[in-house]
Amino acid sequence: MDPNARDIAEYKVTIEAEDILFSYATNSGKNVVAVDHASFSVKKGEYVAILGRNGSGKSTLAKMVNLLETPDAGKLSVFEISADDDENFWKIRSHCGMVFQNPDNQIVGTTVEEDVAFGPENLSVPLPELTQRVEKALGYVGLLEKADKQPSSLSGGQKQKLAIAGVLAMEPQLLILDESTSMLDPKARDEFLHLVARMRQDKGITVLHITHDMHEAYLADRVIVLEKGKIRLNGTPPEVFSQVDTIRSLGLELPKWAELLYEVGRICGVKPEQNDFISEKNAVKKINEILRETDVSMISREERPTHEVDDQVVLRVNNLAYSYEKKEKNTISGIHFDVKKGEIVAVIGHSGSGKTTLISQLNGILRPSEGSVEIWDEEEKKYITTDKNTDVKRIRRHVGLLFQYPEYQLFEETVEKDIQFGPKKMGYDEEKCERLMRESLPLVGLSEEVLKRSPFELSGGQKRRVAFAGILAMDPDVLILDEPAAGLDPAGQKEIFGYIETLRSNGKSIVLVSHDMDEAARIADRVLVLKKGRQEFFGTPKELFAEHTDFIAMRLDRPCLMQTMLDLKKDHPNVDACLFDVKEAAQDLVFGSDGEVTAP
Amino acid sequence: MMKDVSIGRYVQGDSVLHKLDPRMKVILFILYMCALFMANTPIAMIAAFAVILFLALLSKISPIEILRSVRPIVFIMMFIFVINVLTIRSGDTLWSWGVLKVTSGGLERAVMLAFRLLLLILATSLLLSLTTTPLKLADALESLGSPLKVFKVPVNEMAMTISIALRFIPTLAEETDKIMKAQSSRGAEYDTGNVFQRAKGYVTVLVPLFVSAFKRAEELAVAMDARCYQGGVGKTKLHPLRLKPSDYLWMLVLTAVAFIPLAVDFLWNLK
Repeated sequence: MDPNARDIAEYKVTIEAEDILFSYATNSGKNVVAVDHASFSVKKGEYVAILGRNGSGKSTLAKMVNLLETPDAGKLSVFEISADDDENFWKIRSHCGMVFQNPDNQIVGTTVEEDVAFGPENLSVPLPELTQRVEKALGYVGLLEKADKQPSSLSGGQKQKLAIAGVLAMEPQLLILDESTSMLDPKARDEFLHLVARMRQDKGITVLHITHDMHEAYLADRVIVLEKGKIRLNGTPPEVFSQVDTIRSLGLELPKWAELLYEVGRICGVKPEQNDFISEKNAVKKINEILRETDVSMISREERPTHEVDDQVVLRVNNLAYSYEKKEKNTISGIHFDVKKGEIVAVIGHSGSGKTTLISQLNGILRPSEGSVEIWDEEEKKYITTDKNTDVKRIRRHVGLLFQYPEYQLFEETVEKDIQFGPKKMGYDEEKCERLMRESLPLVGLSEEVLKRSPFELSGGQKRRVAFAGILAMDPDVLILDEPAAGLDPAGQKEIFGYIETLRSNGKSIVLVSHDMDEAARIADRVLVLKKGRQEFFGTPKELFAEHTDFIAMRLDRPCLMQTMLDLKKDHPNVDACLFDVKEAAQDLVFGSDGEVTAP
Repeated sequence: MMKDVSIGRYVQGDSVLHKLDPRMKVILFILYMCALFMANTPIAMIAAFAVILFLALLSKISPIEILRSVRPIVFIMMFIFVINVLTIRSGDTLWSWGVLKVTSGGLERAVMLAFRLLLLILATSLLLSLTTTPLKLADALESLGSPLKVFKVPVNEMAMTISIALRFIPTLAEETDKIMKAQSSRGAEYDTGNVFQRAKGYVTVLVPLFVSAFKRAEELAVAMDARCYQGGVGKTKLHPLRLKPSDYLWMLVLTAVAFIPLAVDFLWNLK
């Protein structure tokens, strides 16, 4: 390609889409409209977030912008260049950079620097400029010392930074992020977002960011919400998020502070204005105002459901330590905790803190080097240990484990066979397998219609449920769930956490690994904090998030809701900041823990 | 557990052989191979062995590491030796037992053939696998193969395919490990149970692995498209293969060295 052929003239509007349409035919011959007559425009330098449920057409829309898909109808111009003209194809695409969701599936090079060079090489950038660009891009994202390393030696966060560097080296004008942060842990996510912010500041790059994270959406200048390929909302974050009912009906959520504002308003019969949704600060101000003006005696407190934990300990870990042969990485030591019947224990910690090693111990994938893991056997009324003398099947009958992104464990021709695989392996008879399978379906919101279908033709969310059902059908007493909601849209995540709560009330015990501090604090009865393979804390969320806890030493973030509550506590000293459910927190604010409202 | 797999048997180093242009090494290897097959006298074989010793010294790789590459072919060497020693009959009879008979000519021939194979493997290891990364080897083949483009052989694309395959080996190995853990949590068996149970155990890994590999391939193709990949046409290279003066110098020396067995052979035959 002639390098000069990609020069573009000055422009003011980055994207101008008018009535664009995109549809495709599925394998079964059905025609699916992915983007349905969408019109929108993005100014130069603007940061636009695109939201919507899985399958709402967000990715297709993004791919149309850099011409990975071409619209069936409508007018699209990028950088004020018409996308209809084939000649402009490379001009447009070579100025768009795209970072995808899965870091592994976008790295082409066998070394870090080769990967960064891939884009500019395709643009025929000659030496020595090529080398300069690669070095500059790697320096910008902070990966220069990794230049000659293999990509597989990088962490998830570093891989996404590598993807950014690969894009930067092409000197793009528009950056498209397609759920780029969804597979990262909170720390890596923050670093990634800072990097994007810095790029906007330094280079004036326009950003189109597809995300499921509402806090990320709030960083944007403008939010576009899609439903079934149609643009439903388009406006600034406060314009969009103040339409609470619409937002929820579109399968989205609010940031915690906005949720609290809405809930306090709901209890007191006040509808917050758009301005109150501008920032957390405004929301706190408005909450204070509502609380000041409401006569509490006129409204009644709503009852919150509580649940009880049985005293029977079903899983006990005693001074557990484990180290891998030859490797020092991922070792754990000094782990000591127990799980009671009908209890949720959340395990939190950064990537590399040993979470996966720990959960692999709980169902016999790994056996302890020191200490022991004991599992309660209800039939024999005694504990079995997971040492090398115990048959692994016996362990797995009691403890079921669902790894992260469990969709990949599906392999049978039909959903029915796949769900029954586990129970059959446990040696149960046909009848029992069938019964267990049918019982597991409603627990994860699946209908019996899916049974005869191939698991591979289901949507991502449905696959996740089938994998979940496959573990539930083994009828374990203890469930180990590793990030069960990761990568799902907000509504999907809420559903999964709903299932987990139902399982708990059915008497199952659950060990939940989660990055989501708000969800962990809300749902868990007790929390285990891991840091560098060592147990830092084990106790209730209230004890953990008590104000005297040293969060920096533990490398933890407070739940977002708690941050807001702490802000409110300045004016309402009697308020309990350690409430992790929005409804509960709102009640506490309005009625006070002891039933009294404190005047500001 | 499977994260540390490596392809080929590259040993890191900064010796002359490591630094030599990979194309030169491929050519040198071909030259040495020709010389080896044309040399017919025992003295030439000894000279050829001396060449290997010289290369081994240049490579600075430990002899144990080098000999390890011979291990897989020991059986074939023995097989060739036995077949030849028993079938070729010329010269004096050294030993006989029933129909079996070993002659001096047969023995000489068998030793030569087995030795030649040994030298060939050593040369492959020293010039190619031990001192050249698979990626550089792919680069060299791409460059040397470029005349084939005239015949519409997609040389660049083939090199790209090899390099992507190399890139994904660790990723897929890691994934296999993950899937095996997940399936064994569901009761799949790999090393217990009868043959059928084990086979079924591997199906539970292979099917998801293939499904995921196809998904990865699809996503990677889109990502490559997004980064303006359009085949080899007009593509520049971050690390192009470029001949340095030292490459020419060493090439001259080594070519001469590679021909020593032939020269020895020739002089021996003159006598």
